[in-house]
Amino acid sequence: MNLALVDPFVLAQDCPEAMTGKLRSGHSSCIRFNHRGDYLASGRAEGTVVVFDIETNGVARKMRGHTRQIQSLSWSSNDRYLLSASQDCKCILWDLEDGTRIRSVRFEAPIFIAEIHPTNHLMFITALFEQQPVLVDVTDEIPKKCTLPSVPKRSQAEWEKLSTRQQTLDEKQTTTVAVWSSSGEHVLAGTSRGWLNVIDTRSRQIVHSTHLSSNLIVFIRLTASGRDMVINSSDRIIRTVHLPDFTDPKTDFDNLRIEVEHKFQDLVNRLSWNHVCFSATGDYVTASTYMNHDVYIWERRHGSLVKILEGPKEELSVVEWHPHRPFVAAVGAESGPIFIWSLLTPQRWSALAPDFHEVEENVEYVEREDEFDIQPLEELHKRRLDQEDEEVDVLTIDPGKADFNPGEFRMPVLLDLDASDSEDEVIAIGTGQYRRKSPGRGQQWMNEAEAVENADDTAGGRKAAINGISKAPNGTKRRRAD
Amino acid sequence: MDRERSPKRKRSPDGLARFSTPERPPHSPISAQQSPGLQPRSFLAADVEEPQFDDVQAAYHQQHEELRQNEVYESRSPSVNGIQKSASPPRERQLGYKPKLILRGHKKGVAQVKYSPDGRWIASCSADASIKIWDSTTGSLLQTLEGHFAGISCIAWGPDSKTIASGSDDKSIRLWDVETGKPHKTAFTGHHSYVYSLSFSPKGNMLVSGSYDEAVFLWDLRTAKPMRSLPAHSDPVGAVDFVRDGTLITSCSSDGLIRVWDTATGQCLRTLVHEDNAPVTSVKFSPNGKYLLAWTLDSCMRLWNYVEGKGRCVKTYQGHLNRKYALSGCFGVYGTKPYESAFVASGSEDGRILLWDVSSKILLQSLEGHRGPVMSVDSHPAERAIASGGLDRTVRIWRSDEPIEQTFAHEQLADETSEEVPPDMRAEMAEMAEMEQAAQEDREQGSEQEMEVDG
Repeated sequence: MNLALVDPFVLAQDCPEAMTGKLRSGHSSCIRFNHRGDYLASGRAEGTVVVFDIETNGVARKMRGHTRQIQSLSWSSNDRYLLSASQDCKCILWDLEDGTRIRSVRFEAPIFIAEIHPTNHLMFITALFEQQPVLVDVTDEIPKKCTLPSVPKRSQAEWEKLSTRQQTLDEKQTTTVAVWSSSGEHVLAGTSRGWLNVIDTRSRQIVHSTHLSSNLIVFIRLTASGRDMVINSSDRIIRTVHLPDFTDPKTDFDNLRIEVEHKFQDLVNRLSWNHVCFSATGDYVTASTYMNHDVYIWERRHGSLVKILEGPKEELSVVEWHPHRPFVAAVGAESGPIFIWSLLTPQRWSALAPDFHEVEENVEYVEREDEFDIQPLEELHKRRLDQEDEEVDVLTIDPGKADFNPGEFRMPVLLDLDASDSEDEVIAIGTGQYRRKSPGRGQQWMNEAEAVENADDTAGGRKAAINGISKAPNGTKRRRAD
Repeated sequence: MDRERSPKRKRSPDGLARFSTPERPPHSPISAQQSPGLQPRSFLAADVEEPQFDDVQAAYHQQHEELRQNEVYESRSPSVNGIQKSASPPRERQLGYKPKLILRGHKKGVAQVKYSPDGRWIASCSADASIKIWDSTTGSLLQTLEGHFAGISCIAWGPDSKTIASGSDDKSIRLWDVETGKPHKTAFTGHHSYVYSLSFSPKGNMLVSGSYDEAVFLWDLRTAKPMRSLPAHSDPVGAVDFVRDGTLITSCSSDGLIRVWDTATGQCLRTLVHEDNAPVTSVKFSPNGKYLLAWTLDSCMRLWNYVEGKGRCVKTYQGHLNRKYALSGCFGVYGTKPYESAFVASGSEDGRILLWDVSSKILLQSLEGHRGPVMSVDSHPAERAIASGGLDRTVRIWRSDEPIEQTFAHEQLADETSEEVPPDMRAEMAEMAEMEQAAQEDREQGSEQEMEVDG
């Protein structure tokens, strides 16, 4: 409801300007905004999943279950469930209502990426290290895993033209990244040899393949509409692609042509890109760079570089754009803080004193004819009251995007989360004195987690450990105001 | 305890008698002729005795004629210049709220009453440093929350109806679990003086507070630390409120200003000031968040359109007496579904509760019962009921006999089934309405005489 009052020039900006904040809870390795844009999930290097509240910049939840670095995070469409994938070969589906695990699924290899199905939160797709991608259905306690193919679909003639060596290489391809199309009827998968496969979810067959790059495809991200795709490849080029409407029954997958719209690259420095993502509307593409401190932003209409966001003195790994606002978050690769870029909003001084006007240059004041006439107060008062004859509606609510529907999921606010910053590497030992925390402190839970892990996995069931509420045994850093 | 207060604090009578303003010239026709014994004594400073209310009442009767004139004037105002309102539905000219329950139990005056967002409970806080939770239908006492060291000026319900925040003259804000009655282990400390007002963000992750120390703080509920301090005012902050989607905060102060803030950036977006510059003691967003309702110590309530231009006063409600205390009130709904209209309700220092139509400014009803200033009025989130609390230490519940079928229970049903109601469903609905009516009649018979409940 603040939009009517905010400076229109500020509202017109759709690209962040400057670094405005920093979030910190341990060493973050991966971040993801929820769909509403009020929470930011962060996976940490030691396996904890933390959910930040963007409004308060505080930790809203903390969930423990992984033992190694989190690789990817994915929110369900109603923002109630969060899927985390880790290098410890596990995927965990969390219920944010109470912070419990709904399912924990183990794989044979570390996981690159795991994405929740857009409509069914009990289904997800994973891409594994040097293995075939897996479609997982966790409706039942025992997960159903279906392996999906990676070998690109070629016509018979094409296949015969290949040399034997090429054929064997083709066979050995693995999928490095897999995401859902917007409807969830198809999976878009990138392979280690630069192919993009479109896989039908129901038949689990590749219906279309396009060769995009000669190198490995690192990452794929779609816009909210699902019609645009950005691809990061290890050949140091970011490609954007306009996708056809897969849900259209008339789509002919055999004669589909997927054309690259733009190629973004740094020809001078030969920069390679750590992570790419779309802006809220899809008008911009942003990327973090390998061995470099900046965040690059290109606009898609002309394909030009519009901004380089000055970063901290740290390489940035994952970069994410807020789902509605010009607000970018990126993870520092070395020490794991989350940096935030957004708009700078200067205070308008005329808002503080309504009888003051901001003028560009001096204006000669013209006195109104009756300005200093003395009028009886009573009469003025009466006249003023008489003028108040308009109809006023204080009840009708204009529908707005940010409005909350009663049926929507709302994460409960936990008040006893006092371990929120206890896992920082510095702890207070006296007034104004801090020391680095000894390594390994506060990781006791890991052993416990390991102990119950087997039972946990076979049953695949709900473990009673309610994360985030359990208190950390280590010393808490407390800074009380006064 | 209050008699030991230093003279310096006397100027700042805590709790309820917030803004004594002898120096301000009155602008409205009602002169502030009150009995000399009442004026300098704060409500807390001497736990008000019954005779004092008689004083108030006497003062009221003196001014009664003037008030009457005001009312007459008010009811005439919409048809000035011969323009009769051409609003499609004929608006009711009167409302039928009747006293239903009197809840006793507080040992000192009641500063604020609030319905829980789910409508099940009423919380009341008092200068006796306790909060009481009452069942809103039966009036039975659920909990008494004790833990503050001084009188409590304000309470706010969390959106889940399970937590209550309270702000006290001991400078702290506490959170309470309604079911267990236990306070949250860390109090919110940071204000340098009495906490006058509180409001929860709609998501329940933030709390905004206004204090006598002239500051407005935005608190992170999870860490119990102030997130942001809004450099708000140059006089005590009387009230703060969140807009319904949580993006705006409003605050008002006895410096006569109402400010509107952006929650996300902490910047002031708008300042509203009336020519008379009367101290503003209370402010509230309208249910749809498009208007602000402000109480000033010139016995006026003003409805502001804060969006248009630089902010414009669109309505002035008069008829109540408000010269000394920070009274507060609420918006309410009357009429049947497609033509629902809104009223504003406020307490008065003469013991009445007044209900005006929002648009026409007609006084719809005047409820009498409280013996002493009515500090706070709140309306039920769904039903036609209002609760009030006053310096006579009582909480009173008033209900309207408006047929209940237009209200909430059926609204939902109607919404779900949309326009196309299958015939069997329609029969069912009719049946339900009938049952409801019968139940309503039963209830009326049962509560013919107003009930009294002791807490």
